[in-house]
Amino acid sequence: MRAFRRERGMFVAELDSGERAAVAAVVADVAQLLGAGRLEDREATGRPGDDASGTLPPTESLAGLSLRIDDIKAPDDAAVHRLLPDASRNEPTVSAEFRRLTEDDLRQVKTARLTALWDALTTAPADGWRSGELVVRPDAGADLAATLTDLRLVLADRLGLDDDEASEALYAELEREPADDEAQPDAPADVRRYLGSIYAALSWLQESLLDVLLDELDRPR
Amino acid sequence: MQTAPEELAAAEHSLSTADAWVTIVWNDPVNLMSYVTYVFRSYFGHPQAKAEMLMRQVHEQGRAVVSAGNRERMEVDVQAMHSYGLWATLQRSGD
Repeated sequence: MRAFRRERGMFVAELDSGERAAVAAVVADVAQLLGAGRLEDREATGRPGDDASGTLPPTESLAGLSLRIDDIKAPDDAAVHRLLPDASRNEPTVSAEFRRLTEDDLRQVKTARLTALWDALTTAPADGWRSGELVVRPDAGADLAATLTDLRLVLADRLGLDDDEASEALYAELEREPADDEAQPDAPADVRRYLGSIYAALSWLQESLLDVLLDELDRPR
Repeated sequence: MQTAPEELAAAEHSLSTADAWVTIVWNDPVNLMSYVTYVFRSYFGHPQAKAEMLMRQVHEQGRAVVSAGNRERMEVDVQAMHSYGLWATLQRSGD
């Protein structure tokens, strides 16, 4: 994995095929958690971004309008609840009304961003870029940074990263060599290590994207 | 988009009108300090120094008031923060 940098007017990072597959799998999982179905199966449904199940017009044409009348229950899955959090800590009616007005929109925005990343990871970059490169237009950089946050929030929930100490403990764990004991395979520990290494890699990648995004804000227009 | 510092101060000390609400961003162990700063700069239009000050407040004190106004306005800000993956809530400024 190579960090993001500005190159020929674009934000460019590099991920090898294994890294692409690993990140794309997390992207697909998070999209599914948000109710987007399987991104892998999307080709059959038509153009990218089409919502096969939708009988409603695209959300964009309904800007600001919600057709919900009934309240929506807060998500059961803690990770989804973190992506779509309560808008009030102590007033359930404020949270309920907010959820009714905004949750469909937020799910749509988040899944559209995940779909864009999925496409970038699973298709070759445009002519003139090397095959491992992840090429992002500067005006799409903020969306990518937000999506990297969503991926990391879900991974953090699965890894139990509830506070700064838990995050530090994960990094310490990743520093140590994996237990090289073939006689006693430890599947849960291996999965944790695998998800932890993706979390760490995405954190590093997002940090490099923030470097170029913050530079971009300082560029004269 | 810009919220004057006086407005924030007034919101935090609560004593404005009855319908004044605030948006609060809460600390979490996942969001990068650079990302939170970026969101405060790009969404609220704050200069780097002010965005960083608010980010540090979130990080060190666990929360920061990031905007103040009527309820509808705060709902827009909270929705934007949720879109960015920040954990934000709204409440009456006196609470």
